[in-house]
Amino acid sequence: MRYICTCCGYTYDPTNGDGMNGVMPGVAFEDLPEGWVCPLCYASKDQFDPLD
Amino acid sequence: MKTSVASLYQAVELNQEIPPLLIGERCNPNGSKAFREALLAEDWEKCLKVGLDQEARGAQVLDLCVAYAGRDELEDMIRLVKLFAGSCKSPLMLDSTNPETLAAVLPLYPGRAIINSINLEDGGAILDKICMLAKKYGAAVVALTITEEGMALSCEKKVATAKQIYRLAVDKHGLRPQDILFDLLTFTVGSGDEKMRNAAIETLNAIKQVRKELPEVNFTLGISNISFGLRPAARKVLNSVFLHEAVTAGLNTAIVDAAKVLPYAAISDEERSYCLDLLYDRSDDALMKFIEHFEQAVEENDEGEDESLLEEQIRHKLLKGDKDGLEDLLSELRGRWQPLDIINGLLVPAMREVGELFGRGELLLPFVLQSAEVMKHSVTLLEPYMEKLADEGRTSILLATVAGDVHDIGKNLVDIILSNNGYKVYNIGIKVPAEEIIAKAKELQVDVIGLSGLLVKSALLMKENMVQFQAAGLTQPVLLGGAALTPKFVAEDCVPSYEKPVVYCADAFAGLKAIRDFEAGKLLATRWDSAVFPSNRPSPQVEVLDRSQEPPKVPFLGEQFVTDLPAEPLFAYLNQAALFRGRWGYRRGKMSKEEYAELTEGTVLPLYARLKEQVLSGGWLQPKVAYGYFDCCSEGNSLLVQSAAGEKQFNFPRQSAAPHLCIADYFRTPEEGGDRVGFFIVTIGEMLAERTHELFAVDSYHDYLMLHGLGVELTDALAEYWHEQMRIEVGIQQQRDADIAAYVAQSYQGSRYGFGYPACPDLSAHLPLFELLQAERIGIKLTESFEMVPEMSTSAIVVYHPQAKYFAV
Repeated sequence: MRYICTCCGYTYDPTNGDGMNGVMPGVAFEDLPEGWVCPLCYASKDQFDPLD
Repeated sequence: MKTSVASLYQAVELNQEIPPLLIGERCNPNGSKAFREALLAEDWEKCLKVGLDQEARGAQVLDLCVAYAGRDELEDMIRLVKLFAGSCKSPLMLDSTNPETLAAVLPLYPGRAIINSINLEDGGAILDKICMLAKKYGAAVVALTITEEGMALSCEKKVATAKQIYRLAVDKHGLRPQDILFDLLTFTVGSGDEKMRNAAIETLNAIKQVRKELPEVNFTLGISNISFGLRPAARKVLNSVFLHEAVTAGLNTAIVDAAKVLPYAAISDEERSYCLDLLYDRSDDALMKFIEHFEQAVEENDEGEDESLLEEQIRHKLLKGDKDGLEDLLSELRGRWQPLDIINGLLVPAMREVGELFGRGELLLPFVLQSAEVMKHSVTLLEPYMEKLADEGRTSILLATVAGDVHDIGKNLVDIILSNNGYKVYNIGIKVPAEEIIAKAKELQVDVIGLSGLLVKSALLMKENMVQFQAAGLTQPVLLGGAALTPKFVAEDCVPSYEKPVVYCADAFAGLKAIRDFEAGKLLATRWDSAVFPSNRPSPQVEVLDRSQEPPKVPFLGEQFVTDLPAEPLFAYLNQAALFRGRWGYRRGKMSKEEYAELTEGTVLPLYARLKEQVLSGGWLQPKVAYGYFDCCSEGNSLLVQSAAGEKQFNFPRQSAAPHLCIADYFRTPEEGGDRVGFFIVTIGEMLAERTHELFAVDSYHDYLMLHGLGVELTDALAEYWHEQMRIEVGIQQQRDADIAAYVAQSYQGSRYGFGYPACPDLSAHLPLFELLQAERIGIKLTESFEMVPEMSTSAIVVYHPQAKYFAV
């Protein structure tokens, strides 16, 4: 499932991963580490909303 | 002692073989929505149906009340008494405290009615009149233990008032003792209010004692008051258990919703014991355990039951953020409660509930603000009837935005939430230096200090403030909030400098929780375990920057101004996700995709359309731009910019961790042939911000947050729009896309870095920037701390290097 950052609108899509944070494709949002933040605005995980 | 009341069709004995006699409470516009709507629509048959339905469900007497603001009680009562008298088997309880109304309907009623009610609130003048009517028409009378001092809470006071009324009604007016039904009043044990813990005990003891001292009188009681504030499913059980206890104590009639009384035998031993522990205050955590147990109980008919009482209605209004009819409702409530008790006993618990719902993700921020508006409006309506809220004993909080920072939305939200939860808030404004905060904290002797600030610099300043607070000998805990703060920063950089707890608060409700923790003596400084939470900020994975990139072909060199921009096109550049979910707080949370789509379609988009229309038709947007292109070259961490006004130097910080980026790296050195750079400053003008401040000033919390959020995002939309324009001008983008999703992800060549933001947090760069762009000419000024005024302005350096993307230092 994709998640959207409520602060800046960035979408975390597990099929792409997150290169800025060194996250490989295939990692579910739930499995991102607790300290993971939005690669664009640095909002924390709890600032994300499910998108799908 | 046998006492009967009667309708045209039958007599009913007050002392039933199996007590109690059930008196149906729902023919009351203040208690039943169905009845209220029927009354307002003058649909008399429907009013009657509410009565007949209660008979079908077991009511043996029907209470009939028509007092409702805007209606003529006398006229409505005459009409309905005639109608009910001919159609209802059950005798009527005429619910009015107006002697004229009673004088008009008593002779019309072809039976023996009960009058509801008399009391000593006015010292006894009305009581005298009603007792004379009761005597004349042979009616029974309900007597409430209310005196000029208010409603009797203690057993002692209830008994004394009952005896006082007895003397007047029986000795003076000659009523028979058995024709008086004492309602000794009860109050909720569900609010958590310490003073009310023994509400049930006081009432039960009073019934026993009055029964002993005045053996011939009868009793009645509005049972459901005992559980006000609790969940409907829990109320049903607690009401039923309480009714059982009250009957054991001697209660022989009860005013109830007959359909919602459970047979005692149908209640399990376990549930009985939760109820009895709560009613008899058998342990400190009885309420907590009761709530926990019934938390899982099935909710049924939530909406319907909430209507049963005025007290429920005000709770409901607050939870729903509904201000309609608030004035009428509060004036009705003032007949039952002291204004201060309405605030502390009804409104504050309901606000607490709002906070809990928000905390569980079941209520969104905009709705919380609407609830806070109801709270504020209620207090304003009650204030004329009470002494000013005493500040003594209330926890007080000093709020300030730190020096050099003009951002006040966060601080004001905390103000809204705390002050509407009953706390005393001193909001001393923006740009407040440490010295002034220290002086005010000492002068006002506040309990807690809250600091706010949006800028990166403000976070650093808070760290310094902690040192100053410590040196000044302050002893208040400090709460810190702001966009640039992290729990890690607070724990590692702020906490160690100050002896008392320093606490990171992510939002206004975290602030509220902190205040409650403080009151409970368990407020702790924020801690951060870096072993558990590694915090690497993300970064572009750049190994080598391409140095061969040619400087962009700019359309002109120097600065230009654009002051005739139309406002409407900006909306196409607005980041709706950030506005709706972030600024406005319409988070999806636990909603399903469909539910969220419904919220968006039904609430959010219409709100957006309304505000957009307001903003455009009011001419609240005056978009203006100062921008330019300049020759430049990098030198270490600096960018040297050539302009007609001479060379300007911008110094940029470098990341301390790999890949050690610095904005200057994206520009070629003189040896590499030099480069070109763009800058812009944009503003949407002052009007929208002014409208926003006006909304806060009149306590329109919801619209305040909405308009503020819209303004901030429109400012960013203007920046996004102008950045696109500058890409088109230099030929790296072919056409207008306004593709916000792509722009958010920086799917374009280059980057814009806002001054004050993570890649270049130092606002003093505004000095050389203003010298380059002369933004004063579009009405923007710098404060002494280099922030821009009007506040809805933003600035950026525009970098064209293809590898330039956002990063943080």
